[in-house]
Parts: sequence; structure tokens; C-alpha cells
Amino acid sequence: MQDAAILTRGLTRSFGSFVAVQEVNLRVTSGQFFGFLGPNGAGKSTTIKMLTGLLAPTAGQIEILGVDLATNPVAVKRQIGVVPEGMALFGRLTGAEYLNFVGRMYGLDRDLTAKRAAELLEFMELASEPKKLITDYSHGMQKKLALAAAVIHGPKVLFLDEPFEGVDAVASNTLKAMLQRMITRGATIFLTSHVLEIVERLCTHIAIIHQGQLVAEGSIDELRAGVEAQIAANATGEKLTLEQIFLQIVGGTRAVEQELSWLS
Amino acid sequence: MAELIASPEFRGQFMALSRLRWQTLFNSLRSTRGSLELFSRVFIGLLYAVFGVGGAFGLGAAAAYFASQGKVEFLAFLFWPVFLFWQLFPVMATAFAEGITSSHLLRFPLTFPSFFFISVTYGLLDPITLVSELWLAGIAIGVGVVRPSLFAATALILFLFAIFNILLSRMLFAWIERWLAQRRTREIMGVIFFLLLLSAQFIGPLIAHYNERSSRQIGLVVSQISPVQRVLPPGATAAAIAQISSGQWLAALAYTAGLCGYVLATGWLLAIRLRAEYGGEKLSESAPRVKIHTGVRKLQKGWDVFGLPAPLAAIFEKEIRYIARSGPLLFTMIVPLVMLLLFRLGPGKLGSLGPHMAHTADLAFPIGAGYVLLLLTNISYNALGGDGSGVQFFFAAPVEFRTVIFGKNLAYTAITLLQIFVIWLAVCFLYYPPSLSILFTTIAALLFAWPIEFSAANLLSLYSPKRVEYGAFGRQRPPQTTALASIVIHAVIFGVIALVVFATRMVGKFWIAALVFLLLAALALPLYLFILKRMDGISSDRREDLISELSRVRV
Repeated sequence: MQDAAILTRGLTRSFGSFVAVQEVNLRVTSGQFFGFLGPNGAGKSTTIKMLTGLLAPTAGQIEILGVDLATNPVAVKRQIGVVPEGMALFGRLTGAEYLNFVGRMYGLDRDLTAKRAAELLEFMELASEPKKLITDYSHGMQKKLALAAAVIHGPKVLFLDEPFEGVDAVASNTLKAMLQRMITRGATIFLTSHVLEIVERLCTHIAIIHQGQLVAEGSIDELRAGVEAQIAANATGEKLTLEQIFLQIVGGTRAVEQELSWLS
Repeated sequence: MAELIASPEFRGQFMALSRLRWQTLFNSLRSTRGSLELFSRVFIGLLYAVFGVGGAFGLGAAAAYFASQGKVEFLAFLFWPVFLFWQLFPVMATAFAEGITSSHLLRFPLTFPSFFFISVTYGLLDPITLVSELWLAGIAIGVGVVRPSLFAATALILFLFAIFNILLSRMLFAWIERWLAQRRTREIMGVIFFLLLLSAQFIGPLIAHYNERSSRQIGLVVSQISPVQRVLPPGATAAAIAQISSGQWLAALAYTAGLCGYVLATGWLLAIRLRAEYGGEKLSESAPRVKIHTGVRKLQKGWDVFGLPAPLAAIFEKEIRYIARSGPLLFTMIVPLVMLLLFRLGPGKLGSLGPHMAHTADLAFPIGAGYVLLLLTNISYNALGGDGSGVQFFFAAPVEFRTVIFGKNLAYTAITLLQIFVIWLAVCFLYYPPSLSILFTTIAALLFAWPIEFSAANLLSLYSPKRVEYGAFGRQRPPQTTALASIVIHAVIFGVIALVVFATRMVGKFWIAALVFLLLAALALPLYLFILKRMDGISSDRREDLISELSRVRV
């Protein structure tokens, strides 16, 4: 059995009486491009926050690269890169200053940080306006910068919360190229996204969370086979897309019949 | 205006926004922290109420006295302080006026008059405005008690004066924010201020010259100044009431028209700024767009700060860059210099406080340094506020939270030291170097205050955070819990300092004060270190609250 890059046992998070994530057991092996899907409010962001140390679990255990997050958070954080919800940027720095800052927070020396920052800005097509503050960046530029910051220290595991949200095709292409490079050099990527076409194209494994519980897990082919077996009659004989599989699993196929009085 | 207020659409929008503000406030009070905030608001509200009502009684009594003596024009002596307090205090404190963030309004179909009206009325209930209005009400009542026939006219003219003040304070904030938003305009303001500082050198001898004159000659000067002040708003207000009281209706009408002119001019200047905001203006700190060559180019390296470990140096650099790019924070930092300047132009020689504080310079330096310490609270007591959602990074990075906090403390300390050095230079320039005993005692007192200040600041930054926008001037009040705690902490610190200074002066051994402060500093330092050590645990316990509070978009 391959080493687990991410392992959770009974991961649970409650907010008062509301259970946002309930006993999630995940195993993501090293080198996997792992897509974590779910409808809005299903518990994706809560899970990713717990996996990256931004939120304490109510119960359960998290191991990243074999290290327990609760007992050794700093050692885990050295090995991971994160693009959290909201991106965690410092708006009144320039892109270069921000990358310099992040690199040094991860303990890189000044020369190495500056060298990597320059390469990353160039790769992400952010180098042409060096004096521009992050607060004046477009949304797509901010996403690219957030990803650049997440990889500057060469993490072994990368957590990305909605990296493609609000990003145009050009920026999305750059992000995908960067992620492919990370996978090629052996990193593990854990990604949540609502853009199912991109997930289908990039991810080798998928897990689906619904109402706080893990309801499906496996490769896309495995999930497809499971769904096709359930609905039995796939009349057209065409391969189900990830979107169709997802809707089938989370029960999102109901027809929208309700009328709106002022739009009728 | 009447047409605007009568419009059902505008009334609906105004009510919706008022309701939104109320609901936001109400929802924010639901948590334990919210209850503490409510308590603090009530307590601080009471303090302001005492200040406002007390002032209203005092000013009312003075107004009644002037009216009873037939010296109604002397009301100008009351209007000037009210005017200066209303306009200068919020600017000096930078954080006491509330305003709306225009971007939240612009998405709605608001006409410009609606936008203008809402922008002016939003924050009409801020403490400084309320206190000032109470004082004016006190003056009107004071006049009315002695001269009932004058009450209605006085109330009407003071209403105009209040509108003028409201518009002027909004206008000043809007324009200062505009000037501070960009580097070029900020530099121009800096040069003007520097020239003002230089000019003080020439004004000083002038004041000294008049100080030596007899009271008869001073009276002559006052009588020369009087016509000038009468054409300015506070003087015009007093003159209008005085002319009515003496039955000079035409002159009264002229002064009232002058006051109306001020209202219109101020409103027009404010409208220029608001029109720009209404048009979607975005004040940006970024340099103009300059495309540069492509290809990997060498980047400037991060700072090497006295050999500090990389994460500490990175946080230090980030904080300094943030502050250097924040016009409002830079403005806050020159406020102690403004105060020194006013000191120089005002009392001139403050009088003797005994053999060890015989000179103004001896007093100016400690007061300036104390003021620097007070203003430091603007950033240090809410150290994470400017980071916004960036605070998540500190939790995701492989750095202990105490390192983050310590890095911020170091940056703020460096800035404070620089400011105190500038204050010392300014005192030397405006007066002469403070005596060595005062210098050492002040430094020792600062060493005592430092650990206590930062212990409190670090705790409050974690327990009472609030997202702030470093680019906005005013418009964001600190959490009232922090404000209340700040009052208590500073009362303790300055109380102890005053006690030690006066006790040592009484026994005639002032030099002991410095030693006492050093001893107190040695006792306070372990407290700071203990709290710093606890930062990891506290931040871990509070990380969800911190992230959600600091990532929140302000309405």
C-alpha cells in the first residue's frame, strides 16, 4: 500500500448543535491529484480548514505525511502549501514583497526567496507591473499570486480551496500548468472546486461530501461505475460526465418547478 | 432637500440602510464578546454624556453671564473652543468620526442627492458630534434663560452653526483622506507641514515680543483681531446673535447670510469629493501602470533586520511597509508634532513646575513622548486588524504565533523610537534641548510603560480584533472594549508616572524617579514575556473567531 499523504480518522467538526463535518475518514496517497467535491455548505471548506490547521476539529485525527497535525502543527505546516478561502493575501504589499515575505516565513533565505519569487511572478505573468499593490490586482491575478505563495517553499502537499473560482480561461490555464508541474515533481494536491470540468480533467481521485458526510470516494471511473449501476438505465450509452455523477450522488437532479411570481 | 426627503424611494433607501446598521450592531452583540462590547459602549457613552452635559452646563452658565451683562458678542469666546474641539479633535484622534464606505452604497440605485444626504447623516450620532451639539444646546439655553426673547433666534443661528460644523468636519475628513491616499499628495502635505514647523521659529519671537507688552497694548491687539474673527464662522455666529440682541436687524441679517455662505461653500467642497466617490473613484496607492520587460528579472531581496531570524525580519518588514503606505497612519504620527507646534504658538512658556521642570522644553518633551505612546495604541491595540483575511496566513505558516506578535511589537517599537527621536529634535528646534534629568526620566518612564502597553496590546489584539482599512482616514471606530481598556491602562500608567514624579519632587530628589521607573520596568518585563509566551495558546483557542472577525467585510 502506498504512503498516505493525508489521512483522517473520524474527523468531525460541530458548531454548537450543528455538525458541519461528521466522522470523515480520508486517505489521499502521495502524488495523487485529489478532488474534494460537495454542494454549497456540505463541509468542504470546513474540512480543508481543519486539514491545514486553520480550524480545530471537534473530534478525530489528522496526519499529514505521517505527522500528527494536533501534536506537531509547525512540522506539518513546513511541508504543506495552502490557498485558503479568501486567499490570505496582504493587500498593501506588492506581489514581489508578498512572495518575499511568505518565503522568509517558511524559513527560506533572502537570496533563494528572491530568486524563486522572481521566477514565480514571471511564470504567473505577474511580473509586468512590479509596483502594483495586491489590493489593486484583479481577482484572477490575486488567485495566481496566492498559488505562487503556496508553492514558493516547494511543499509536498498542496491544499487549494476553490482555486478556479472567478478565474478567466487565461488565468485558469496558468494555474493548471502550475498544478501539473507540482504533480510531476511528486507533490500531492488536495483541491476543492465547483468547476467540475476542470476537476474531471485534472483529478485522478475524487471524494464527495454531502451534509457533512463522505458519500463517495474513488477514481472517476469507479464513481461512474457506481452511479451507472444504481441508475441502471443509461439509455444513450454515453459516458456520464463528472457533473452528472455529482448531481446523481448528491441528489441535485430534481426539476426546478417552483415559479417566481414576478418572473412568471 | 425637502423634495428629496419627501421621495418615497429615498425614504425607503434611508430606512433600509438605518435598519441594516441597527441589525449589524444587534447581531454583533449576540456573542460574549458582543456583551462586553455593549458594556464598553454604555460605559464610554456615559463618560461622553458626563463630558457633554457638564460642558453644556458650564458653557450655558457662561453664555447666561455674557447675556446678562449685555456682552452677547463675547459668546465668540465660547463658540471658538466648541468649533476647534469639533473640528480638531476628530482629526487629531483620526478615529472618532464614523462614515460610510461608499462602495457599499454605490451598487444601489441612489441618486447623488440621496448619496450626499446619507453620507452626511451617517455617523451623525458619533460622540464628538453629539457632545458638540449638546454644548451648543447648552449655550442656547443659557442665553434663553436670561434673555427669553433671544432664544429662538439664538437656536436658529446655532442650528446653522451646527450644520456648518457637521459639513466642515465631513469635508475635512474627505479631503484629508484624498490627500493622504497617494504618495505625491502626501509628500506635498508633508512639505507644507515642514514649512509650518519652520515658520514657528519666526512666530516664537513675535509671541515673546507681545508677552512683554502691557495689558493695554494687548487689549489693542485683541481689538485689532476682533474684526477678523467676526468674519469667521464662530465669530460671525456670535456677531449675528449680538446684532439681534441690540436690534441691528440688517447687520444681523448680513452675519447670518455670511454664515449661510459658509454652509454653502463647505457643502459645495464636500460635494466635490462625494461626487468623485459617487462616480466610482478609487483612490489607489499603486504607482502608475508601467509595463516592464518580460523575462525573469532579479527581485529586490527582503530586509535583513539586524540579523533577526527570517520570519521575524519578514514580519518586521511587512509591518513597516504597511504603515509607510498608510497615509492616515503617517498622519497620526505627525500629530504629536502638530501638538508641539500648537504648544509653541499657544502658551509660549508654560510656567514653572519647580526647579526640575523650569522650562517649557522640559515639559514639552515628556508630554510629546507620552502623546506618541498614546497614539501608538491606534495600531498596537488592534495589531491584526490591518491584516484582514491575511491573518489566515499566520495560522497556516510554520511559525509560532508569538513570533508574529513579537515581530509586530518590534516594528511598532522601532516606529515609536523614531517618533520620540523626532519629538526630541523638534523640542530642541522649537525650544532648546530638554535637560538631561528630564531626558533620562522620560526614557525610564517609557521603558516602564512599554511592557505594560504591549502586554495589553497583544491581549486585546487577540481578544478584541476588528478589521480596519489602513487606507481610510477616520470612518472606523475601534472596538469599544479596546477603547475602554485603553482608557483604564493609560490611566494606570500615567497615574503611576505622575505619582512617582510628584513624590520624588516633593522629597526634593527628582533623580530617584528615573531609578524607580527602571525598577518598575524590570518588574513589568516578566509580565510582557509571560503574556508573549501565552500568545500561541490564546491564538490557537481563538483562531476561528480571529479569522471570521478579520475576514469580515465591513458594512
